[in-house]
Amino acid sequence: MKLEEVRRILDGEVVSGSKSLDIEVAMACGADLMSDVLAFIKQDALLITGLTNPQVVRTAEMVDVKAICFVRGKRPGQETITMAQKKSIPLLLTHLPMFEACGRLYKNGLPGCSEAE
Amino acid sequence: MGKDDGFGRVQELSYELKVGEVMTTTVITVAPDNRVGDLRELFRANKMSGTPVVAGDRLVGIISIEDFIKCLADGEMDCPVRMRMTEKVEVLYADEPVVHAIHKFDRRGFGRFPVLDRKTGHLVGILSKGDIIKGLLKKLEIDYHEEEIHHYRASHIFEDILADKTAIRLKYDVRGKDFENAGASASALKKTLSRLGFHPQVIRRVAIATYEAEMNIVVFTPKGQMLADIHPDHIEVKAVDKGPGIPDIERALVPGFSTAPEWVRELGFGAGMGLSNIQKSSDKMVLKSKVGKGTDLRMTFFLYR
Amino acid sequence: MKLEEIVHELKMDVRSAGRNLAREVRGGYASDLLSDVMANAEKDYLWVTLQIHQNIVAVAVLKELAGVIIVNGREPEPETLAKAEKEGVPILVTQLPTFEIVGRLHQLGFRGTA
Ligand SMILES: Nc1ncnc2c1ncn2[C@@H]1O[C@H](COP(=O)(O)OP(=O)(O)OP(=O)(O)O)[C@@H](O)[C@H]1O
Ligand SMILES: [Mg+2]
Repeated sequence: MKLEEVRRILDGEVVSGSKSLDIEVAMACGADLMSDVLAFIKQDALLITGLTNPQVVRTAEMVDVKAICFVRGKRPGQETITMAQKKSIPLLLTHLPMFEACGRLYKNGLPGCSEAE
Repeated sequence: MGKDDGFGRVQELSYELKVGEVMTTTVITVAPDNRVGDLRELFRANKMSGTPVVAGDRLVGIISIEDFIKCLADGEMDCPVRMRMTEKVEVLYADEPVVHAIHKFDRRGFGRFPVLDRKTGHLVGILSKGDIIKGLLKKLEIDYHEEEIHHYRASHIFEDILADKTAIRLKYDVRGKDFENAGASASALKKTLSRLGFHPQVIRRVAIATYEAEMNIVVFTPKGQMLADIHPDHIEVKAVDKGPGIPDIERALVPGFSTAPEWVRELGFGAGMGLSNIQKSSDKMVLKSKVGKGTDLRMTFFLYR
Repeated sequence: MKLEEIVHELKMDVRSAGRNLAREVRGGYASDLLSDVMANAEKDYLWVTLQIHQNIVAVAVLKELAGVIIVNGREPEPETLAKAEKEGVPILVTQLPTFEIVGRLHQLGFRGTA
């Protein structure tokens, strides 16, 4: 699914990396605990999370996450944005809570990490 | 060794890189008519063991500290350099691949070679083993410290390159409670491994385990250190700290066990999954800890499992 | 929809308070941060999380949640289960990750926004 479509489905906005909206995410993972992200996520995934600290970007970098979407309208600070720009990881923001964001993307055909091959 | 296999990239680079790209271009030279006696100060001040002799732009010889000492013994310090220099000089050309230079160092045992431009015959630089190592690391965009260069020297990088094997050591300091920079070591190591051409699957395993170990130092200790030894067929990462230690290691290894305080949990850590992630990602994990003394965690990753 | 229908539909395992499955579920909340759930989850919602710590029970009780789904095949700690049993908080487990179990709950008609 193209990032632009993710943005549209989630009625979201691009926080950084607006030039990357045509990249593809292959699957999604919703989590707030970074060790769980490290344990279960596969590469080229979209990470959906309620946390906005720079360690989220760091974690994403470790496992080659394609893009991050912050939920519940929580806007990341400059540190996080700067780090994401440095690592070329686009950031999206949606006002929806995690449950609704995951539900809508799943309904539109984006698989989870255990389903995607 | 293929492109994706560990040190393949270093070997490749030794063919790709030209002597002219890694040599030192500011060369201290002497003229044939200089007094041998004047070399004393030159050698001392620049910590050199020899220097090219140049007439105009042309290399006409090389004079070494041994030549100087002989001259001194003969009491002929006023003798011109011309009379004492070695005229038949082994040189390298700027357009030669670095691997030629490595072979030449290996065969001749010299410390440095003058570098000439093949067309004009002019002296354009000088090359030492250190220049080659720095050049290779720079090309790989590996951040190195002088101290590490010595380590490479000591570890016979050239013999290793010739024998198709090399070891590189990377060292990172980790500060406790410094959330802003937490993960910087894992990030740097990951970058280095991809530049060295390791397989993405291996890089991922190393990155996950290193990051978890680093986060534990950040969360639970005042400070520690990460050491990565990169070998052609395996990678070893050590995470050591002088923190509070782990009272019950078996318990700490249980997935879900965590003593992380609430503020850490609010940052997305403290799920108690770190050590089991490390266990899953590495091929071998040895965890040693003494209460009040610190923790020593070693992780080994084999390239071919 | 009642909790027991959801358990059946999504083939989850019940780990505690099986007596309280007749409860009507109004929506869902997915989060691994207790403070977030405390601040934002709603009464009679199902909480989807990776957390297995016993504190999840206290949060579920306080917020009058319909139950807790633990994902990724993780097993709640024994203290968590004991507490949940005592407080009557149903704890369910699934092998699926958050994204997928939430996707299925959404397909059953549950929403994350009031
Ligand atoms: N370097 C260390 N020094 C002292 N204690 C440690 C160290 N590393 C781990 N521990 C102890 O072991 C426990 C388990 O560590 P582990 O990495 O598995 O989980 P965590 O760090 O608590 O949570 P997570 O890694 O999921 O964020 C920690 O909670 C801590 O008590
Ligand atoms: Mg940890």
